[in-house]
Amino acid sequence: MIKISEDVKKQLLKLAEDKNIYLEGNILKVINASEDVELQEYIKNARQKDDTMREKRLEITKKVQSQNDELLEWKSENEKINNQLKEALDKAEKSEHRALKSKEEAEKAKEAAINDLDLLQKRTQNQLIESIVKVSLWVISGVGVITTVMFAITLFRGVENKIVESMWSNMFGILLTNSFSIIGTIMGVKYASSNGGSPKNKKCNCKCHD
Amino acid sequence: MIDSILLVDDENLFHLVFEDACSLLDIALSLKTFNSADEAEKYFKKIVDTNSKKPDCIFVDLNIIGSTFDGIELIRRINFVHGDGVVIGIISSSNDDMEQTKAMKAGAQFWIIKSDQIEPRLEEFKKDFDGYANRTLPFKVYK
Repeated sequence: MIKISEDVKKQLLKLAEDKNIYLEGNILKVINASEDVELQEYIKNARQKDDTMREKRLEITKKVQSQNDELLEWKSENEKINNQLKEALDKAEKSEHRALKSKEEAEKAKEAAINDLDLLQKRTQNQLIESIVKVSLWVISGVGVITTVMFAITLFRGVENKIVESMWSNMFGILLTNSFSIIGTIMGVKYASSNGGSPKNKKCNCKCHD
Repeated sequence: MIDSILLVDDENLFHLVFEDACSLLDIALSLKTFNSADEAEKYFKKIVDTNSKKPDCIFVDLNIIGSTFDGIELIRRINFVHGDGVVIGIISSSNDDMEQTKAMKAGAQFWIIKSDQIEPRLEEFKKDFDGYANRTLPFKVYK
């Protein structure tokens, strides 16, 4: 405990009376005023003032503290929501990426199927052409052989047969020109199927290819 | 009235609350505050090294942001490394049983739960203080 001198006491009392300025804080708790009524009154007033001020400050500090806690809670809640949004966005991006990949794969599969179909069509066409050529060759060679045999018989027998002769020369001429025409037709069909026949070069009126 | 108190808490606003509450309830004459466990440990080490007067009571927060160790570790160090004989405990908003057991093992004598209404708990603690100083009171949680 500390003792206040008479001179200091007077100054403190004057300061309190004139300007309403008092000592504050825990120093008031260590001043020995047991033998001085004036000083006891001063300390009582000073402590009352100090307590009132502290009560007010405590109330405000508590309010600020609780507001701070609320703000922190909101901040953490916001961060949580932001994280959830970010996760959802990431998921959506991944799904979009997967969808695009699936679309690409589907387009590739579609292209492959069209190519396979085209190949199948060409093969069928080739088989048909092959059969036509074979039959045509058999017919041409058959007709040629028959007329030649008939012409050879007339020649070996020494019989003059104008009909066979003209028939052989006509037949040969016709066969020759027809065979060229057949070859030409085959070549034309092949050319048409290889260029104009492919699905890529075909102009489609439907809206499947933009 | 407790002569000197040391408060270790990272929250400056709580320093003000604690100071005003202690003053209004006539709990302590002098109060020293620290924001981190590291600072408090240094201070305590210096007191022990210079053989100065130790604080009568230490209030430590459980999670002290900005410290390299928590409040329980600070209590353990003060009790087992720098020498005991001080009334020491936790002042925290947490009410975790496991943490309370850990604190007790580290040498904490009390656990005060922080809230808006801290004054009644501090008043109760003031009544019990002599029991803690004499080491006659068991670990207690002020709810």
